[in-house]
Amino acid sequence: MIILSAKNLTKSFGKKIALSNINLEIPRGRIIGLLGPNGSGKSTLIKLATGLLVPTGGEITIDGAIPGVETKAKTSYLAERTYLNGWMRAEDIIAFFEDFYEDFNRIKAENMLKDLNINPSDRLKTMSKGTKEKVQLILIMSRSAELYLLDEPIGGVDPAARDYILNTIITNYKENASVIISTHLIADIEQVLDDIVFISKGEITMTSTVDEIREKYNKSVDGLFREVFKC
Amino acid sequence: MLGKLLKHEVKATGRTFLPMYGALLILTIITKLVITIGAPDFFTDNIATGPVAEVILGITFTLYVIVITALCIMTFVVIIQRFYKNLFTDEGYLMFSLPVKTRELIFSKLLVGLMWSVVCCLMLVISIFILSLGSFSMMEVVQDINMAYTDFYTQFGMSLNIILFELFLCMLVSAISSILLIYASIAIGQLFNQHRVLASFGAYIVITIVLQIIVSIILVAVPLLANLDILFSGIDGIKAAQWLINGTTLINLVLCVIFYFCTQYIMEKHLNLE
Repeated sequence: MIILSAKNLTKSFGKKIALSNINLEIPRGRIIGLLGPNGSGKSTLIKLATGLLVPTGGEITIDGAIPGVETKAKTSYLAERTYLNGWMRAEDIIAFFEDFYEDFNRIKAENMLKDLNINPSDRLKTMSKGTKEKVQLILIMSRSAELYLLDEPIGGVDPAARDYILNTIITNYKENASVIISTHLIADIEQVLDDIVFISKGEITMTSTVDEIREKYNKSVDGLFREVFKC
Repeated sequence: MLGKLLKHEVKATGRTFLPMYGALLILTIITKLVITIGAPDFFTDNIATGPVAEVILGITFTLYVIVITALCIMTFVVIIQRFYKNLFTDEGYLMFSLPVKTRELIFSKLLVGLMWSVVCCLMLVISIFILSLGSFSMMEVVQDINMAYTDFYTQFGMSLNIILFELFLCMLVSAISSILLIYASIAIGQLFNQHRVLASFGAYIVITIVLQIIVSIILVAVPLLANLDILFSGIDGIKAAQWLINGTTLINLVLCVIFYFCTQYIMEKHLNLE
């Protein structure tokens, strides 16, 4: 069962080619690390999957459909930036998510806010950058989506919260759902990954399971990454 | 989903407008009180106010005009800002990942923008009504209105309501087309990889100029090509006015369709969030 599939997927911004001829199939039930250096096309690939960008060539499908209303309802996307309105309170944005996403679970969200000591009646603009990122991640993970697209989910949060968040990610998703995590902080998330996709200069250079890497190269993913992308 | 989008759009914009409307109402009542106490003869010809009352009147009036101007500008700015900021900046990441159709996004912004424009007009009418209370009698106004209707009917052989309705339609459609022109310009600006706001302004100016040129050509060409004297001979002034009003409505309607589909096409096929 394939949840995400890309065929000859190309995206260019003017003359700059961000992704060139990508072919990729992501099965259900896996946690996949989308790993690559800065500017390698990770975010572009994720944005194409969410429908925030439209391909220049080729196609990308979620559960067999081109990104649209139907795929957006089953995709839970964490952007690499904070997109929440500053004037909203955490509880306002929970109400917003509850209205638009049928698979949103309010109780889950409220419990996670409590666990991370975030007051639901605090306005987002009074929160620190890290706290805002936590709120966003809580919202995303409170949905029972079929595909989670997490773009740099742990960049701005402290290590303690990082563990909590990773734990949330692995315990929260349904069995037939997949989680794609894009990051360059590999060591931190390596323990939760099933598969990895290495991406470099807009091309996929390697796809593999984590176990295979350990057997074949006798290295951690982080070690392999450092070797492959050595400057 | 359009209903939910509308609900949240009203919520997001209401927090700006409601305090402004409140301020306008309070200021209207204060101005009314100042007039009633300080210059009871204000609406009659023999104004005889003391210098102190004059200064206070001056200040309240200035404030009143400022609030009204601010309200009109705000309505305009919020219409633009909600479309641009909410859809094409960071907030767009949230809005475009919602499971809603592009047209629902556009319509939610457009309808709420129109709603606030109408409310803004209503508030101005209410405010002016409160200010002028006591300077006229309701009976006379009703009589005058009735008289206008009868006069109009005897003179032109049709109800005044028809013309008023056509005028209203014309204003509504031209308001929609001006909003959609702004939306289309913002969308066109997104096609550029840099200086998008500048590009949007550019698009707005270019479209406006092109439309002006087309209208001028039509205005010059039509009288040259068609013999208007024959066309309009036997048509009285009111018919000519109706032609003008409905012609404007029709042209604006066509423009609405063009602007709308241009916006939707860009948002669907060339979405390029930074």
